Amino acid sequence: MSTKKEYAIKVDHVTKKFKIYYDKANTLKEQLVFWKSKSKVEERTVLDNINLEIKKGETVALVGTNGSGKSTLLKLMTKIIYPTKGKIITVGKLTSLLELGAGFHDDFTGRENIYFNASIFGLTKSEIDDKVDDIIAFSELGEFIDNPVRTYSSGMYMRLAFSVAINVNAEILLIDEILAVGDQHFQDKCFEKLEKLKHSDKTIVIVSHSLDSIRKLCDRAIWIKDGHIKMDGEANLVIDKYLEECK
Amino acid sequence: MQLAKNLYNYRELLKSNVKKEIRGKYKGSFLGVLWSFVNPLLQVAVYAIVFPYIMRVQTDNYLIYLIIGIIPWTFFTTVINQGMITVRMNAGIIKKVYFPREILPISVALSGLVNFLISCIIILLFCIFGGVGLSWHLIFLPIIAIIQFILTLGIVFALSAINIYIKDTEYLIAFVINMLFYATPILYEATLFPEKIRWILYLNPMTQLIDAYRNIFLYHQVPDLNGFIYLVLVAVILFFLGLFIFRKLEKGFAEEV
Ligand SMILES: Nc1ncnc2c1ncn2[C@@H]1O[C@H](COP(=O)(O)OP(=O)(O)OP(=O)(O)O)[C@@H](O)[C@H]1O
Ligand SMILES: [Mg+2]
Repeated sequence: MSTKKEYAIKVDHVTKKFKIYYDKANTLKEQLVFWKSKSKVEERTVLDNINLEIKKGETVALVGTNGSGKSTLLKLMTKIIYPTKGKIITVGKLTSLLELGAGFHDDFTGRENIYFNASIFGLTKSEIDDKVDDIIAFSELGEFIDNPVRTYSSGMYMRLAFSVAINVNAEILLIDEILAVGDQHFQDKCFEKLEKLKHSDKTIVIVSHSLDSIRKLCDRAIWIKDGHIKMDGEANLVIDKYLEECK
Repeated sequence: MQLAKNLYNYRELLKSNVKKEIRGKYKGSFLGVLWSFVNPLLQVAVYAIVFPYIMRVQTDNYLIYLIIGIIPWTFFTTVINQGMITVRMNAGIIKKVYFPREILPISVALSGLVNFLISCIIILLFCIFGGVGLSWHLIFLPIIAIIQFILTLGIVFALSAINIYIKDTEYLIAFVINMLFYATPILYEATLFPEKIRWILYLNPMTQLIDAYRNIFLYHQVPDLNGFIYLVLVAVILFFLGLFIFRKLEKGFAEEV
């Protein structure tokens, strides 16, 4: 048997540049006027030729300072945005929790949003019917579940988003930062749940600045700096080095 | 094909989105449902009173003639108007989650189709009580409606994507649609024009479509075969062209929207 397990996410020579418009020409007239004088557009390279393979069943953390490109990398993996160069291959059903919001309709109730959100992740009605009670129970939102989500606090929002994402049974789970807004009780509960998922064959990529939780949860950490992978390896080692430099 | 696979996998999202579109239009109220019928009827009433005075030509069953023009036209314009802005309106979820983006324009077009088929009840009522009656030619109705659906969807694919990059597409198209209304024999008959230049009118697929609807509802005839072939061709070409443009542009939606 080969020791090399198959990958769940493969990042292949990926470069991502963002165009920064200082004065965005959006109407036809403006675009015609600015046709030649493209002076107002600047390109910023956020990720520069990144190569990365995340194997099936791994729990990986992305660390780095603010603005180093962690969220950008997750968005690329989710296919919300696309690389300027290179390609990203993901194998299996993927669910992501990026920042707050996760794609809710503000005027829908929590319960309706469970259906809406889970259907965005590609579930059918009967599949959601089976899970809706678990999702509500996990969120501990009680009777708030039938209130419109625009009345929710950010922690409640996150509870709902996390509960859906964790219950849709995706093979790959991408989580960006959002755990930070939960109260202590719910954060602990989330990490417990992630701990459990870690020992199944799920692949988890998590971005977080709470390095202690990462040490406990992740086997591997990837440190991104200046658009490159500065270090990739055992979580404790990488975090120690990262902390050293942060001082 | 990627499109069919996406639609199958995300059928629940498609379903709830279509429901949302329809529910949004009616705002959940009975009055809302009523409005979507009353609106084209009022339009028809105004034209039916005013137009015969302006034009001296008499059209048989002018009221029914008018209704069969207005209702498919309303189907066309509502889908274009709502479809054009659908990607922009959903910027929030586009930035936060992945889902096949084509679900958005397709939902708008589907809800338009459902709406249209319901509105056809009005046409039927007018035909029955207006003395025209009904005939077996109605079996062509679903086919023609689906051709219109495909054609409009193609246009909406292209426009919804382009509108993200060029913001005044919306205004430009609103103007074009207004012009197109008069370039389509909705209020008047195509025979108003001399035979030599009438073919220009028939290049417009909306002319062909409304002609076909009138054939089956009003004249109890099989739709014109040449016109039908032309329609299918235009619809298929527009559909794939629109989808192609959408595929080219959709990768930038989250950044540009
Ligand atoms: N849509 C965009 N247009 C232009 N620049 C962008 C865009 N999105 C991100 N950037 C830039 O890309 C860089 C990386 O951003 P990113 O959000 O990935 O950082 P991060 O590592 O997640 O930071 P944080 O720890 O603060 O969440 C930043 O410099 C940011 O300004
Ligand atoms: Mg971030």
